[in-house]
Amino acid sequence: MSARDTILQALRANRPTPQNHPLPPVATLGDLDASRERFITNLKILGGDVLEPVEGETLDQAILRRHPDAKVICSNVPEAKGTLPVERIKTPQDAATVDVAVVRAAFGIAEMGSIFLSEAQLPINSFAHLAQHIVVLLSTGELTANMHTTYQTRPEFKSARYGVLMSGPSATADIQGVLIRGAQGVRSLSVWFT
Amino acid sequence: MSNRPVNHARAAEHFLEDAPHLKFHDERLWDMRQKRDAQMHMLPEWQELREEASRIKEHTLAQLPEYLEQFEENAKKNGIHVHWARDGAEHNRIVGDILKAHGARSLIKSKSMVTEECDMRPYLEKQGVTVTETDLGERIQQLDDQLPSHIVVPAVHKLTSDVAKIFAKDYHTDPNIRDPHLLAEAQRQAARPVILHADAGMTGGNFVVAETGTFVVCTNEGNADLSATVPNLHIATIGIERLVPRMADLGVFIRLLSRSALGSPITQYTTHFRGPQDGGEMHVVLVDNGRSHRLGMDDFWTSLKCIRCGACMNTCPVYRRSGGLSYGAVYSGPIGAIIDPTFNERKYSTLPFASTLNGSCTNVCPVKIDIHEQLYKWRRVLVQHREIPFVKREIMYMAGKLMGQPKMYRAALRATETSLESLPRFALYNWLNPWGKHRELPHPIKQTFHDWYKKNRATPAATAPESGK
Repeated sequence: MSARDTILQALRANRPTPQNHPLPPVATLGDLDASRERFITNLKILGGDVLEPVEGETLDQAILRRHPDAKVICSNVPEAKGTLPVERIKTPQDAATVDVAVVRAAFGIAEMGSIFLSEAQLPINSFAHLAQHIVVLLSTGELTANMHTTYQTRPEFKSARYGVLMSGPSATADIQGVLIRGAQGVRSLSVWFT
Repeated sequence: MSNRPVNHARAAEHFLEDAPHLKFHDERLWDMRQKRDAQMHMLPEWQELREEASRIKEHTLAQLPEYLEQFEENAKKNGIHVHWARDGAEHNRIVGDILKAHGARSLIKSKSMVTEECDMRPYLEKQGVTVTETDLGERIQQLDDQLPSHIVVPAVHKLTSDVAKIFAKDYHTDPNIRDPHLLAEAQRQAARPVILHADAGMTGGNFVVAETGTFVVCTNEGNADLSATVPNLHIATIGIERLVPRMADLGVFIRLLSRSALGSPITQYTTHFRGPQDGGEMHVVLVDNGRSHRLGMDDFWTSLKCIRCGACMNTCPVYRRSGGLSYGAVYSGPIGAIIDPTFNERKYSTLPFASTLNGSCTNVCPVKIDIHEQLYKWRRVLVQHREIPFVKREIMYMAGKLMGQPKMYRAALRATETSLESLPRFALYNWLNPWGKHRELPHPIKQTFHDWYKKNRATPAATAPESGK
């Protein structure tokens, strides 16, 4: 008998009575505030930040203000030009040269300050992780309240093959409990509202 | 593998001797527990979330074969190769064969407790595959050739100086570094080239969604996303109990997981894999390794609800003061003590006794596993199966007899009081009394409650229960 059938057969023989364990209806609990203020508060708790525009400034200028040492800025959005055309990113490894990646999130989650990226928002999936920093464009109209509303209403979870919720930059506290922002993925994550 | 019972008490004794490590370990884990509490207090719906999570998991376990089939069907539709492994050896063979078929010689991986269960690294290394752990804590443990001591923070028993020493040997950094930032940066710099040149990537999976054929990985460092998106071959090893029926169910679990684990609202990365990336190949290995057997254990099947948050470990006074390695098993702490004996009853027979039964583990469990009750039930099973040492067994047997007979019990009590007062220490504290090893016996008392009651309160008719016999 195949491993598959052995396992399924054992599960059928051993499981508790299914009738005693009905599936509860889908839950929508907690705060349903989908405001930008709530999003920003939670983004900051997780180490992310908002890139506030200064009057008369373009997005490119704002990115340089935030990352003055950046040499390679690569934008996947029409709102920013960057320094490296995104067409140059052809293989997953190509993204390793990028200092600042600029992308647009499909949506954000107010409860967590999370932003969502999938292959539809990225030239290549590793772009969001090999780059040193990331700047994320987010439309206030694309905020959802919490994790319940996220999974119930966002269609991306049923279409994207790769979908990541990033909540601030990468982080670790594996050495003596000290929280370090910028572990192995991006060192910083800034949100630019549109 | 040795079948000898793990000597948890001796290992814990060793751990207790090192004051700086003990102090940090205890305080760090308690801090995680307090951060978890702070998150809980922010959510008035917390108990409702736990109840939902528990019910969804129990339902899923009762329908597991159907949900596994549904997941498999959907995953295959999306281009994922699905494999099934009865045990660790089969899992390792499957992974080894996938790597061989691609000529892959280097594998980068994120943290996965299932691959620890399967002891995969040595197997692959014998096949000529270099396996690199990319999670910082897990990498520290790999370089130090130790099991993870905690399921969420694998190197929590180490201080910065320990890590500096390990990195100095392997990364040629200064052994005197005392700034964790510099060590984390050293790991980032060392890992990057390995990640960029890896032939294959591996992750675990925190949740599996039957409805969509998705698996979800929750991490903080970004290393799982690097492992999955840089190489074009992605293998995910996942325990068969990780299923949830619907995408919407993730709302409940993601809200609970990191809050319970680290006291942060969510992990920095929550990644949903539903199919291979362009030009890539994706494999999922569904691992049983004892889980289907555990599902048939009336008293213990609900341990399969576990979402591996580690909250029970952080709160446990025994775990905090003995360290994960003292359990001598892949899974440590309270959850380990109820899971490990299902793998090997003799070897892990001591672990259910590494608990005060205070119930704190049960109280913090986000999926409401009755951990302390299962610890107690394991003790009963182990006694029935004669898997506990002679002295403990005989003492329990005598105590049982004694407590079942009030007259004898009272006589014994009086005798005990006399001996506590009069016997020399060597007669009270010796190998027949392991309880007294690190504890003082109670001070002798002049009058038992029973004596006091008889003298002050008792009416003749109700003097003592045995008087009516």
